[in-house]
Amino acid sequence: MLSYRTRIVLDTLLPQNGDDQLDVGLFDTDFESFYETFEAGAPAMMRVGFRAALFTAVWIAPTLIGLPPPLTLYDRETREHALEALLHSRSNVLRQMAFLLRATCCFHFGGDSVVREKVGYPEQFDAHLEAKE
Amino acid sequence: MRVDGLQHSTAIDEAYDYVIVGSGAAGASAARVLADTGASIAVVEEGPAVPRTHFPDKVWPAFHNMLRNMGGLIARGRAFIPIIQGSCLGGSTVINSAIMWRVPDDVFDVWRDEFGLQAALPPDALHRQWDRVERELNVHPVFEEALGHNVSMRRAAERLNLSAAPTRRGDRGCQGSARCLTGCPHGAKQSMHLTYLPYAEERGATLFTHAKVERVFFDLGRASGVSGRFQSPGQKGRNFILRARKAVIVAASAIQTPGLLHKSGVRSKHLGKHFQAHPGSPLMAVFDDGGNLWKGATQGFDADEYRADRFKLETISLPPELAFVRMPGTGRAWMHSMAEMANIRVWGVQLRAFAEGEVRNGLFGPDVRFDPNARDMRNLRKALRVTAEMFFAGGAREVILSIHGMPERIHSVDELDVFDRAPDNPAAYSWILSHLFGTARMSVNRSKGVVDEHFAVHGSPNLYVVDSSIFPTNLGVNPQQAIMGIAMHAAENIARRHEH
Repeated sequence: MLSYRTRIVLDTLLPQNGDDQLDVGLFDTDFESFYETFEAGAPAMMRVGFRAALFTAVWIAPTLIGLPPPLTLYDRETREHALEALLHSRSNVLRQMAFLLRATCCFHFGGDSVVREKVGYPEQFDAHLEAKE
Repeated sequence: MRVDGLQHSTAIDEAYDYVIVGSGAAGASAARVLADTGASIAVVEEGPAVPRTHFPDKVWPAFHNMLRNMGGLIARGRAFIPIIQGSCLGGSTVINSAIMWRVPDDVFDVWRDEFGLQAALPPDALHRQWDRVERELNVHPVFEEALGHNVSMRRAAERLNLSAAPTRRGDRGCQGSARCLTGCPHGAKQSMHLTYLPYAEERGATLFTHAKVERVFFDLGRASGVSGRFQSPGQKGRNFILRARKAVIVAASAIQTPGLLHKSGVRSKHLGKHFQAHPGSPLMAVFDDGGNLWKGATQGFDADEYRADRFKLETISLPPELAFVRMPGTGRAWMHSMAEMANIRVWGVQLRAFAEGEVRNGLFGPDVRFDPNARDMRNLRKALRVTAEMFFAGGAREVILSIHGMPERIHSVDELDVFDRAPDNPAAYSWILSHLFGTARMSVNRSKGVVDEHFAVHGSPNLYVVDSSIFPTNLGVNPQQAIMGIAMHAAENIARRHEH
């Protein structure tokens, strides 16, 4: 179960109607189910890393643009600005936190069939191959 | 015969002539040669056997089933560099692009002159093995109809008059579906789980999967087998013991081999040291030519013009999961970038790094240290500049840099000087580590290496290492064919030594 703050962070990262063509956001793609799989099956280092990245986004990212935390206090534009500052931080560790956050979301978001359709990625033919075997 | 440790509820204690640890390019090639001698063979793989009908088109399940630590193994230095290694039957050959290169002559010269290996690794004998690999795996340049997105590099190379060509790969009937990285669903890529492992199995070899070897054990100084534990998620798996009547052959990769040898009591000041690699760094560009990243062989064109500068350029197709991560922006800006996916192209720099790292046994597995040095960073900057120049020559509208402190995008060759101002710190760049060498290097002299000229660990005459950990240096080209040929040559030598 994702917390309120986690949902705000992730929704800032991949919002609904974020782009005219790619108008589905992370929470239009059943991220919760993926997160359960992730918590059950990912190596401990990745799970701990993702939690640390969320913590960093909520409590450290706002300070990088001179605002007190948490991130959830602010409107979307400010939140985006704060997460962008995290991605471009002078600290490599903080940049890695932003990378972990993005990578974990992309594992799910980039594999979603609606997202793939929206960006033009074609349907694959696995069912056909299984039938052939 | 196959034994899946996941389904095995009893302990095993069996004997074979040869026990081979690892089923990737090296282990499978050794098994292929030894199977012809009529010997009994056990090939032991830590990961699962994944049938090709189960190769997903999505990255998460593929990484979950087929990659070590799901791609989360990291080389630590100033940058954190992900290490991509297969962990399934067939090893990394299941998730690579089956790119084939022989060991270049200039590398042979160094191995001969600096390491005295002309007798151990004779070029003539190795070329015969590579001929066999090319014949059996149908190695050929990517056919025109499977080039797809790769043609943009050809266009660029022609315009700039650079040496570049369709990539030579082992495949039969590549359909250009750009899915090598998650396992070829068409069975076109000639990975070891489709070729040499079934060959050995048909000749009596037993393939153990979900079976992690924990140590090699010795009897009066002679390696007499391996012990380990079947992998069983959520519970302690059963133990297994596989005794070796003739020899134990380790082919577990440059990351895993030194740890296994160390846990087994092998001691050498070179064990785990001299870790070399080809760190890779990608650049993305936006084109308007309608050539989609997902149409064409995953890696179908490469440029070797800059071998003297120690880098090689390759095309690569990334699925949306991996491409999105590298795209610039946050929130809405990030999604605008993602929406350009159909026009994106990715080319990678493969650096023949000077840097040497180290692999140790850590608390949670191998602890890998690797840090590109100043000369590597100079070469990387040049390589990225050349890549960007090629992108523009190939028709790119803009190039996405992904370098910390640099502009996110450049729009013409007039802006190429940004690479001259790019940082020296490796942490500013995106990296990946995939070609790994040297942690149990070969030397005729015990004081200079771990393995002798017969591929045996110094002081342990029937414990052999045949994977890329014995390579004294990196190659500057993709290593699968080199690894296979050297493992086959080693296996022939081992068979001769243990004929009676």
